[in-house]
Amino acid sequence: MTPYAYFFGCVIPNRYPGVEYSVRWVCGKEGFDLDVKDINEFSCCPVPGIFYSTDKDTWLLLASRNLTLAQNERREILTVCNGCLTSLLKATEYLQDPKNMGKVNRTLAQVGRKYTGIAKKGEGKRRVFEPVKVRHYVEVMTKEVGLEAIAARAKRPLKNIRVAVHYGCHYLRPTEHQTIDDPNDPVMIDRIVEACGATSVDYEDKLDCCGAGGGVRSHVVELANSLTQDKCTNIAAAGADCIVTGCPFCLLQFDNAQKTFSKDGIPVMHISQLQALAMGIDPISLGFDTHHVSAHSLLRKLRGA
Amino acid sequence: MGEAEKTFLSGLHEKLVEEKVIDESQLDPGFAKEIAKYGGKDVMTCLQCGNCTGVCPISLKIDYKTRSIIKYCQFGLRTYTLGTRWVCATCYRCYEHCPADINPAEVMIALRHIAVREGNIPPFVKIAATNLVKYGQSVKPDPEIDKIRKELGLDEVHSKHPEYKTVLREIAVLIHATKYDKLIGIEEEVKV
Repeated sequence: MTPYAYFFGCVIPNRYPGVEYSVRWVCGKEGFDLDVKDINEFSCCPVPGIFYSTDKDTWLLLASRNLTLAQNERREILTVCNGCLTSLLKATEYLQDPKNMGKVNRTLAQVGRKYTGIAKKGEGKRRVFEPVKVRHYVEVMTKEVGLEAIAARAKRPLKNIRVAVHYGCHYLRPTEHQTIDDPNDPVMIDRIVEACGATSVDYEDKLDCCGAGGGVRSHVVELANSLTQDKCTNIAAAGADCIVTGCPFCLLQFDNAQKTFSKDGIPVMHISQLQALAMGIDPISLGFDTHHVSAHSLLRKLRGA
Repeated sequence: MGEAEKTFLSGLHEKLVEEKVIDESQLDPGFAKEIAKYGGKDVMTCLQCGNCTGVCPISLKIDYKTRSIIKYCQFGLRTYTLGTRWVCATCYRCYEHCPADINPAEVMIALRHIAVREGNIPPFVKIAATNLVKYGQSVKPDPEIDKIRKELGLDEVHSKHPEYKTVLREIAVLIHATKYDKLIGIEEEVKV
């Protein structure tokens, strides 16, 4: 079994604890019992819209620091956020260049750390290092756990639940680094939704951006919300009961933006929350009370189903 | 007019139309090189095909046309490009559709690097960086959420552990080493 280290990032623990609970539940003893542990010294990935945008040296250093922690434990990083994925994955690519690695290690030495990558075992005298692997939760669910196992554990009937899947840009692009899914026709989250027994509905401009990324939400929130509004109009037209995403920042954007343009809104959740729901968790543990858009309509439909 | 358009009334295009004539004093011939220094590819090789604008979700909404910005970079129109608000969502669609492999999103990121070095620092950058220095996370902890964590039976956020002080110290040392604290003006937060 692949050893993983949880990387929850900043948004989940501090805004959507229900997502953290669901992920731990799905990956833990009550779920698929993966080999995954916490590394308490992790910091912010750091967030690409701020650090990668303003000073790449600082971004790479802070990301490398996180990577050394996983490296020392010989674990793959399991991210639950598209932003953390893109930031850490890009950093491992940068560190493949010996010049970058040398520069980073000269500064990391000030805090007693060194990035080498993980040494492969049993390769003779010459040690071969592999970059620290960074995985997205959706990728781990699809490739490590498998859709059949997900389907086998889905006991709560979700058949009547119509789900609009939103992938989020940094799950798909840039394809220079991200090669998890087909960037033009991604399928993984849809398949997990279907394996959970729910129905994934198609809608117009499904692959469009939620509007939050790159600092747009922080800088011109009206612009970010206007992009979200377009998405929500299309999602509502498809008759979806909820929006499911793999990214907590997209979740935050859908959740917060909707109150600016609609009264009720469409409930939004992370794919791990839907999985936990399908696997029979008590909905109270999903932490929906921290979401701005109430999940009542969805839960009512579930009870009726 | 929608809210988004209103916030962008003083757009790039309007500014150019208003002033009509651009004289040589506004052009910086070294601008393309400066962009490359911060990781952008050579903007001079842009074909001006417009694919980037066509796929840009922001270009659909407001007066922000990726192709035009790349063109202004070629001219070396510093003030116009650096004055652009940070509205690129870094969705990287332009990168996927660029036949010249310019990666316009990375050009926008290089422009932000230059803007910050000219003192044009949006407040949210300072806030996020300050949070990182104080809490190790760019999102500020919320006591209400901490309560719900407890109710759910989750442990305290790990950045609250007393041992996390060593992590904060490491972060401060690294941020100080790259002079990032000075660059964005958060020196008083970073104690090394």
